[in-house]
Amino acid sequence: MRLTGIEVRFGGTPALAGVDLAVAAGERVAVVGASGAGKSTLLGVLNGAVPPTAGSVRVLGQDPAALRGRELRRLRARTGTVHQHLELAGQLRVVHNVNAGRLGAWSAARAAWSLVHPQGADDVLAALSRVGLADRAYERTDRLSGGQRQRVALARLLVQRPELVLADEPASALDPALADQALGLLGELATGRGGALLACLHDPALALRHCDRVVGLAAGRVVLDAPAHTLTVAALEGFYGVSR
Amino acid sequence: MTAVLQRAAPPAPRLRRDRRRWVWGLGGLALLGWALAGSGLLSGPVLNPAGTGQVGRFLAAAVRPELGAEFLRVVAGSTLVTVAYAVLGAGLAVLIGALGAIPASRTTWGRRRSGWLLTRGGLALPRGLHEAVWGLLLVNVLGLDPWVGVLAIAVPYGAITAKVFADLLDEVPRGGYRALLAAGAGRGAATLYGLLPPAAGGLLSYSFYRLECAVRSAVVLGLIGAGGLGYQLALSFTSLRWEQVWTTVYALALLCLLADVAGRAVRRRVAAPRPGSRRDPLLTGAVLAVLALAGWAVGYLALSPAALVSARTREQVAYVASAAWPPATDGDLLAAVWSASVETVRMSVLAVAFATAGAVALAGLVARPGGPTGPGRRALGVLTRLALLLLRAVPPPVWALVLLFVLLPGVLPGALALGVYTLGVLGRLVGEAVEEADRRPGDALRASGASPVGAWLYGSVPALAGPVLALALYRWEVVVRDTVFVGLLGAGGIGVLLSAATSSFDWPAVTTVLIAIVLLTVVVDLVGARARTALR
Repeated sequence: MRLTGIEVRFGGTPALAGVDLAVAAGERVAVVGASGAGKSTLLGVLNGAVPPTAGSVRVLGQDPAALRGRELRRLRARTGTVHQHLELAGQLRVVHNVNAGRLGAWSAARAAWSLVHPQGADDVLAALSRVGLADRAYERTDRLSGGQRQRVALARLLVQRPELVLADEPASALDPALADQALGLLGELATGRGGALLACLHDPALALRHCDRVVGLAAGRVVLDAPAHTLTVAALEGFYGVSR
Repeated sequence: MTAVLQRAAPPAPRLRRDRRRWVWGLGGLALLGWALAGSGLLSGPVLNPAGTGQVGRFLAAAVRPELGAEFLRVVAGSTLVTVAYAVLGAGLAVLIGALGAIPASRTTWGRRRSGWLLTRGGLALPRGLHEAVWGLLLVNVLGLDPWVGVLAIAVPYGAITAKVFADLLDEVPRGGYRALLAAGAGRGAATLYGLLPPAAGGLLSYSFYRLECAVRSAVVLGLIGAGGLGYQLALSFTSLRWEQVWTTVYALALLCLLADVAGRAVRRRVAAPRPGSRRDPLLTGAVLAVLALAGWAVGYLALSPAALVSARTREQVAYVASAAWPPATDGDLLAAVWSASVETVRMSVLAVAFATAGAVALAGLVARPGGPTGPGRRALGVLTRLALLLLRAVPPPVWALVLLFVLLPGVLPGALALGVYTLGVLGRLVGEAVEEADRRPGDALRASGASPVGAWLYGSVPALAGPVLALALYRWEVVVRDTVFVGLLGAGGIGVLLSAATSSFDWPAVTTVLIAIVLLTVVVDLVGARARTALR
């Protein structure tokens, strides 16, 4: 995955101003930075939700801007995203929200039938039990707590089985033990299939424990790019502007 | 002890279907299938081949409406009559509503619920009958008096307004009101200072909404002989003068459209008041204009209170009241009422199903897209919204008259006419629901490779299905009332029975049919309300 000279503007204000970034297969990268530094925009460029104003994107060896229709969908199905606001359909049962991860592989008819008779329930239950939610599979998603919903979003990714995993604050509502477990799962999911993990994280300790490399953003530019073992929690806290 | 601590892994959860929803869903489908089977669509001919020539001439006249100065003067005069009926009817209804809201609100009765229940029950009767039914009854009592048009609107609208006003007052947060009571204010003063100000916006907004509806009602009342545009339309229709028909249709569509646009502008202003200025000139102007119009209308229609209390009127009321009770109960009539009720339900179900399907199919076009779009898509959106506006600007009976050319009488023409009109209403509402819906779940699914259909099914449908079905159920309640009305003009259903009974002055039968109509609307309202709670 490689970004070259990426610029993104929303109206007049630049969200990303010339970002160059290359991530190799098997890498686990933490993206850190203050709020508004451009972290979510960076993930958006990578999963195709935000078209860059300038620069070129290559994801899994392909240029998403050059692809159309089925080809683009196939590439997108290989990229999995955990969104900051989770983007789950609250009115659906948990099982359907998890199955939504497979829509890239399913035909429309199968997707429709699954809403009546859940398809591949075994895989869904296996994914849910890995995040500790197997017993909630058939509850309505909006009855779950914030942390539980975050784990539903992780389970969706587990059944999608993407190669490139993008995660925007995937552990913000989880307690420390669950957060460790969640990031472990994400890293395993990405690197196990020869892909990579790119996670925006607010917790420096979590970033250093679960990632090999840390990229820091400030005002839409890369201002830090170093292997995780060369950094300390204290150094990263300074980066967020946290004073403890 | 250890056995208690070592708990076995929880058993795999089982999918437990929401039985209530399944029952309602399957029941709804069965109802639709039953309605389709009864429509004759699946058995035998429904088209009327003899009418196609007439339709050709009718459609050809659309491009050359009658524009002679004399006829235009007639149309202008009729338009003024319609406006006068609408303004006076709605004005009187708001007055009735304001007075009726006092006994209809919980605030008045406090914990004594019996009085409240009694008022609410009393309001159900005038509410259950369509304004055209009231018109038909009033014509027989008052003769051809302008009061017929005004009262036909004011009575049912007054009952609805009383209920809605009472609800609005009851929904105001109690804090201010209680504080005033605690400070020693009387209940009347506390209501004036603590309840009315917070509710004023809602009350004003609803009054304008009623006026908007009254314009449409005044048009259709003309069709049963109350004068105005609808009357002119019926005259031109029966004399097969298509050019004149089209001129009238254009005039009434324009009038309804104007009411729709102006009413929404005023209501939007009430909902989002402009900051700063103390009194909104638009709102003040609108209120003053309506009051001035009402004053003018009294003179224009030559409305005199004396007609209401004249000896002839009293005599007629006494005669009808004595003749109408007890209701007729002979077997033939009851069987006819039953089969007509069944037909009415079929028509209303088909109409709502058609309108809902159409509204959902068009929703993607009607809703303004969130992101940037090409000019072609935008133009298509504007065209679709305009088409929907036209569909709801022409009242359902006009659609029914047109469809009766091409279709044989029966369930289908009435159902289609109501369906087309309801599509105009539902299309806009569903489009607005789509615009307001959260787009992010669908966008997220598309970003992970879902097809457009998949993203729609898992991202948009879950959030929209409930509100859209609830809207459809609300409209069903309205459509049932309208079905009675298109029946009055011969499109089938229980309205046909009513018009036959009134035109032969068979008052006991009229009473029976009216009871059946009220029962029908009450049952449909109850079923609709229960189905909506299952959707939540």
